[in-house]
Amino acid sequence: MSDPKVVDVPGEPKEEVAPDVPVLEVRDLTIRYGDKPAIRNVSLVIPERKITAIIGPSGCGKSTLLRQLNRMNDFIPDCNMDGQILYRGIDLYDPEVDPVEVRRRIGMVFQKPNPFPKTIYRNISWGPVINGFKGDLNALVESSLQRAALWEEVKDRLTESALSLSGGQQQRLCIARALALQPEVILMDEPASALDPVSTSRIEDLCFELKERYTIVIVTHNMQQAARISDFTAFLDTGKLVEFGETDQVFTRPREKRTEDYVSGRFG
Amino acid sequence: MSRLLAAPANLRRRHRAARAFRAICTVLTWFCLVLLAVLLVHATREGLPWLDLQFLSEFPSRFPERAGIKSALYGTLWLIGFTALFSIPIGVAAAIYLEEYAGRSRINTVIEVSIANLAGVPSIVYGILGLAVFVRWMALGRSVLAGAMTMSLLILPVIIIASREALRAVPNSIRYAAYALGATKWQTVRHHVLPSALSGILTGTILALSRAIGETAPLIMIGALTYVAFVPSGPMDQFTALPIQIFNWVSRPQQDFHELAAAGIVVLLVVLLLMNAVAVFIRHRSQRFRL
Repeated sequence: MSDPKVVDVPGEPKEEVAPDVPVLEVRDLTIRYGDKPAIRNVSLVIPERKITAIIGPSGCGKSTLLRQLNRMNDFIPDCNMDGQILYRGIDLYDPEVDPVEVRRRIGMVFQKPNPFPKTIYRNISWGPVINGFKGDLNALVESSLQRAALWEEVKDRLTESALSLSGGQQQRLCIARALALQPEVILMDEPASALDPVSTSRIEDLCFELKERYTIVIVTHNMQQAARISDFTAFLDTGKLVEFGETDQVFTRPREKRTEDYVSGRFG
Repeated sequence: MSRLLAAPANLRRRHRAARAFRAICTVLTWFCLVLLAVLLVHATREGLPWLDLQFLSEFPSRFPERAGIKSALYGTLWLIGFTALFSIPIGVAAAIYLEEYAGRSRINTVIEVSIANLAGVPSIVYGILGLAVFVRWMALGRSVLAGAMTMSLLILPVIIIASREALRAVPNSIRYAAYALGATKWQTVRHHVLPSALSGILTGTILALSRAIGETAPLIMIGALTYVAFVPSGPMDQFTALPIQIFNWVSRPQQDFHELAAAGIVVLLVVLLLMNAVAVFIRHRSQRFRL
């Protein structure tokens, strides 16, 4: 397995990375669909190389918040925001920031596995190729699949359609596809909610391994999952950040009554 | 016991309605199919004795036994070739713009409604437009080019509507997947949306071209000739087309010419079937390519 860290991607952010600047910081963020606020005055700092879980009842704004972090909400016509989201100190919504470049550095895995209807190989290689990757593509594909714990299962069928994989494999392929761009942050929007328990636990194991290199933000409606895999937990309710802290503390000694009610299953 | 789960009166009534609807649909479907079959059999039976290589390689003549369809066949091929050349790029580009790029502004709504309306405008109106704009104003004369441009206008709305339908059927999850990998809009459209929509776009385009191939009125309007003893050698040449030749033969009193018309219809149908076969082939290939 080759080390993708040495593989050159044009525009690699190395020189800008200041270790004391948080990788992602949300400052007083309000997101509205038209006039209807979905997220109200949320502030939090996402810790680097940790898994941060965002939990909360349906419709509390978890996914909206997540999609705002890599400008995927740009595609929703009347979605607007106040406040700031800082990536290494740079305002993601600064007019000079190119949303395409943002999404290359902050990858995303969706709720439903959405591989391209192309070969397994092309699914991984497409992102780097369109972003001008000039290195050893085969090595990059292999290392990405290795990291997503999928290589052993697909190494003999790279030219088969990605749609021939099972749901769980497809989702790991989507993770591998995001990893191939060597992002710093990976956003996951309920990545296991469409999967069976076995596939779910494989994804969770994978997240655990990935946090050594990547900062992961995961939205989940499954509290056990949040408790199992995350280091930090943010609890959202009706668009407000009720509590944010280390997962242990949020689940065992919540500061807020509302959090306690939710994590103990009294509502939601 | 058997009575417990037997159909009550209300359910029996609903079953009757369901059966009646099914019967009506079946009868109507078969009615159309039989009608088509009768037409085909009739045309083939009448035209078959005249169908030989000579029929394809001879120019029209006032002697039925020497008459052929060469000029009309070549004219149609020239016409459809240029029509495809103009209408497919413009139509597909317009569909991509409307579906992928244009927002929900008022002017776009107006454009959409206009396109839908244009699809329903009688072809003779396009013929008049072609005569005024292409033949006269642009001074293209009664050329293949003027005919192809008129035909392109005629089928553009159909191509645009069918292509938009195909683009809309591509799931958004594919677009988001591409955007999330740092793709630009064009890369997303070019590499994922268009290939996924290709078979639908092709089907719609072939249907539209098939319509153009059978159109007679606009060609008569712009002055396509009814008796042509040469093959067009360029886009500025005069021409005739299969439906015009067929129309010309049918309007003669002699039985022989009517049978020639039937043979012409068979040739027209074969051209149509060939076009459909090409579409199926391209679709098949594009699907394999996508893997």
